[in-house]
Parts: sequence; structure tokens; C-alpha cells
Amino acid sequence: MGYLVGIPFMAGLAVLQASALSHLRLLEGRPDLILLAVVGWALTGRGQEAMFWGFAGGLFLDLVSGMPLGVTSTALVLAALAVTASEGRFWGAHPLMQLAAVLAASGILYGVGLLGLLILGRDLDLLRGLGSVVLPGTFLNLLLALPAVQLSESLQTFLFPPRVSV
Amino acid sequence: MSQLSSRALLATALLLLAAALFILNLGGYLDPAQDFLLRPFSATQQWVSRRVFALRDLLSSPADVSALQQRVAELEAERARLEEEIIALREQAAEAEVLSALLGYARQRPERGYQAAPVIGRDPSAFLQSISIGVGSDRGIRFGMPVVTDRGLVGRIFEVNATSARVQLLADPEFSVNVKLLGSPAEGVLAAQPNGELWIELIDQDAAVEPGALVLTSGLGGGFPADIPVGQVISVRRRDFELFQRATLQPAVDFEGLEVVLVITSFFPQPASTTP
Repeated sequence: MGYLVGIPFMAGLAVLQASALSHLRLLEGRPDLILLAVVGWALTGRGQEAMFWGFAGGLFLDLVSGMPLGVTSTALVLAALAVTASEGRFWGAHPLMQLAAVLAASGILYGVGLLGLLILGRDLDLLRGLGSVVLPGTFLNLLLALPAVQLSESLQTFLFPPRVSV
Repeated sequence: MSQLSSRALLATALLLLAAALFILNLGGYLDPAQDFLLRPFSATQQWVSRRVFALRDLLSSPADVSALQQRVAELEAERARLEEEIIALREQAAEAEVLSALLGYARQRPERGYQAAPVIGRDPSAFLQSISIGVGSDRGIRFGMPVVTDRGLVGRIFEVNATSARVQLLADPEFSVNVKLLGSPAEGVLAAQPNGELWIELIDQDAAVEPGALVLTSGLGGGFPADIPVGQVISVRRRDFELFQRATLQPAVDFEGLEVVLVITSFFPQPASTTP
């Protein structure tokens, strides 16, 4: 069910990201809703679904973006994999670890995105990109990280209520 | 199979699939599928964008908001209906204002054919300077067509789908256009820099270029029609040991505030000029 929910959810977030969130900026950085949703879902322990969400969300983002198809998917699958790679809810152990997970995932997203553009021969000012896009974007992601994790946990409880034996 | 290895397996499969899509996309094999998928997307994006613009307009006019609040207090019973009506009217007024300006611009140049297009989104990647518009090949939009507003040049079409298209903005480092300075024989090539500045390069050393000079497209190379305003020179760098002068440009168009643009549909760029 998590897989099925992910597709329309990610499509909706991609539309929001492209239309509404393009106005919410710090320098040139914007929060990455899909990244936050993927990391949040991965932190609830549903790693495989998070990877699938990342793949689908990345495709939707690339579809509405000038990025070649597959670049953002690769980044988000890797981000979800990084968050779920450690067993025992390592990242979910403490709110600070959740922030660290979003930080790591943001790094992967921007790193792979930049790599994809460099492979395609785009002329990029990496220093400026770091200062005006990567750092502000990561900061916004960190600001929204904890609410995103809370929302993911609420969504998980709503979709998959814990079984109680009486 | 352990959970860890099944996760690794899924990740590998998804990464391979993403790599395959990347390669197929570069080869242009996925264009029909993208076209099909983008139809519902652009319709939804258009709908969301209109609401976002309306909300932004409402929030950015505090005097009207207070008048609105007063009216709401007086007519508490009709509050929901009135709010909705005011938002809709404001949206229409803003749109009419933009369209009226664009219509005036189009009337001044009757020889050109225009297609008005709503801006439905910006590129989610902050590294790419492009916008999406809500018209595509169904309405005659083709690759390379210039995009303008009543203020001046916005960019050019660089990706077309059936119901939407992507416009590469003047501010994109991959964009370049031949320009001339109004009232001066000086010509040059405008190109955005990765640091965000717009530079006019290759200006003859002997040409007199002053800050404040208006910059227009020259039409040279066939990539754009001549005489579209591009912006204003804000500074000039002239060094005796260099072959050319360089000027920095302030674009005429505010790319952040774009809501509706015009695509010049009667102009088809020369193939060689798309990468001047």
C-alpha cells in the first residue's frame, strides 16, 4: 500500500515544488519537499518504500525540470539507501540524528545533481552554487526536517495503524 | 533473503532503471512518453500556479487586505462567499493588467504573431534558469521561438511538449544572444555568467558605451528578431590591453515576477544560430 500511496503523493509534491515552492527562497536555495518526504518515510523504518518513493519522486521532478530524466531519481534512491543502510533505526535514535540524516541526504541530492549537470557539460560556478544554492537549500531542508519527520510518522500511523492484541 | 540484501537489491534495480532512463532520455527515445505524462502535470501546475499567484497578490497588498477585513466584519454572514469573490476578481484584474500590457506590446508590432502563455512553474533545480509555460506544440509553439513580455526579452523555447513548453531564461549560463546598443554602432554578445551576472562581450574597443545605454537584440545570426529590448548597461569594463570591452547588463524583465509571457510564433530561428 505504501508503494501505491507514494506515486500520487510524490506527483503532488513535485507540482507543489515546481509551482508554489519556487517562490519560497533563501538566496537561490529552495526547500526540497520530495527529499524531506523520502527521508521522513525512510526514518519511519519503511526503507524499501522510501527508495521507491525517491525513484518515483525523482522522475516527477525531472519531468517538470530541465534535469535529464533519472538524475534526481538516482540521487533520491541513494539518499533513501543511505538513511536506511544502518540497521537498528540509527538515524531515528535522536532528533539531532534525524537532522543529520536530512543533512546527508541533501548533500547526496545536490552532489548527484551537480555531477549530472557537469557530465552533461553545463557551465557551473561551483563556489557560487555552494554559497547561493546548496547551503541555503540545505538550511531550509534542515528547518523543515523535524516537522517532515513528524508528518511522516503521523502518515505511517494513519496508513498502518499498529496492531494491538487484547 | 535478509531485509538488508533485499533493500540493496531494490536499490540496485532502481539505480539501474534510473541509469537506463537517463541514457534513453539523452537519446530522445522517451519524448513521446514524457509528452504523455506532462499533459496532466502541466494542467495541474497551471491550476496551482494561478492559486499561488492570487494568494501572493492578496498577501502583498496590505491596504486591500484591511479593507477586505473591514468588509468581512460588516458582512460576517457572507464572509466565505465574498472572500472567494474578491480573490477571484483580484486574480482576474492582475491577469487583465498583464494581458493588456502584452496586448499593447503586440499591437505595436502587428507584423509579428504572438501566443500568450501563462507561466506555470519554475525549474525545481536551482541550478537551471528556466520556466515552464502552459502552452505547447498544440498551440504552434516550436523549439527556439523567442519569448518576450511588454518589457523585453525573456528567453527562448528550448523544450516543447504538446501542452507545455520550457523557456530557457536570459539568465541561464547556456543562453547567449547578439545585441546592439541603442544610439551607438556598438554590438556584442550577451551571455549570462555562472555567477549570475549578464555580460555583453566582444564590444569593439573604439565604441562609446556608457552606463544607462539601452540594449536591444541585433537580429544578427538569425537567432532572434531585431530590436527586442533586453536591458540596460549598468557598468563598462574597458582595458587598453584587451581586444574588446565588456559591459554588465541589468535585464529589462524581472524574471521572478513573470505571470504571463508572449511567444513570438511568427519567428523561426536559423538552425545555426541556436548556439551562437
